[in-house]
Amino acid sequence: MSNKMTLERFAAIIDAYGTSPARWPADERAAAEAFLAEDPAAQALAAEAAKLDLMLAAARVEAPSAALVERLMAARPRAVAVAPAPLQDKGVFRRLIEALWPYGSPVVPTGALAASIMLGVALGSVSEVSVIGMSAASAASVEMETGERLVALALADTAWPEEWMQ
Amino acid sequence: MDETPDDELVAAVARGDERACRLLMERHLGRVVALARRMMGNQADAEEVAQEVFLRVWTHAESWQPGRAQFGTWLYRVAANLCLDRLRRLRPSVDIDDMPDLVSGEPGPDARLEQDQLAARVEAALQQLPERQRAAIALSHYEGFSNTETAEILEVSVEAVESLLSRGRRQLRALLATERDELLRSRETSA
Repeated sequence: MSNKMTLERFAAIIDAYGTSPARWPADERAAAEAFLAEDPAAQALAAEAAKLDLMLAAARVEAPSAALVERLMAARPRAVAVAPAPLQDKGVFRRLIEALWPYGSPVVPTGALAASIMLGVALGSVSEVSVIGMSAASAASVEMETGERLVALALADTAWPEEWMQ
Repeated sequence: MDETPDDELVAAVARGDERACRLLMERHLGRVVALARRMMGNQADAEEVAQEVFLRVWTHAESWQPGRAQFGTWLYRVAANLCLDRLRRLRPSVDIDDMPDLVSGEPGPDARLEQDQLAARVEAALQQLPERQRAAIALSHYEGFSNTETAEILEVSVEAVESLLSRGRRQLRALLATERDELLRSRETSA
């Protein structure tokens, strides 16, 4: 907008925004104020518009009620406490499987079962060899330890310890 | 008042920050209620609209994208649109001619009554304006939004805002002609 103010434009501003310069368009405010200070016709327009402003100022508003504030506070979003996921080292193989089958793969339980059988056979043969030359007590101890490990293997979940892959 | 920008408060609201909720309401609830009061003509409807506006803030706080729009513009646009929707469903029933005449005379105990009656008649006159003229006057004249802010809130051009304001004020001047004469006479008497 031009900084040149005319009576016509001043009348349009007063007609739309009333007499308070704060409500006038920012880019024309200075020019309109200067024009008002100097022009008697502009002053007459402003005096007429001031009567309406005076009446409009009579309309009051009430502050928001405490009940409204309370209702809104009661409905506000709440912080959701998110428990951190338990840290567990799944190992490279498990992570690879999960990447390939995010919803679970039949490979894991099948692999665990196959590995259990193979390890059981291997341990059994090792324990037979190792008892040669051992005392009866140490042989019994090895047998018991092997038995416990097999039970542990049988009861183990499908988690695949990383060291088993080495 | 706290200088935290609205966008930061909205982000904190989404995280469930109670203080941010209070600050956002301290900053905007009064103005939303005032806008709705000018639009709807009564406090109960105004508070219902304001409640709906803030419930939308609570709901959408998480998805609010800072920088995409001014939060204030969005907020008052929602408020104005909710009012316009409601007003289209419920046509105004207030007639300025049903309002009591102003009591003229000496200032004193009657002055307060006179002021109340004038307030009621101005509110009734506002209710007789077409909705968009009323929205423009509520935003620009009463809530002090600039012409560009009012245009953004109402999603119209600045020229259209100016036209809405001019037509609205002209109609108010006609509706309140009697009150204006009585008010001025009363002021002259008390001077």
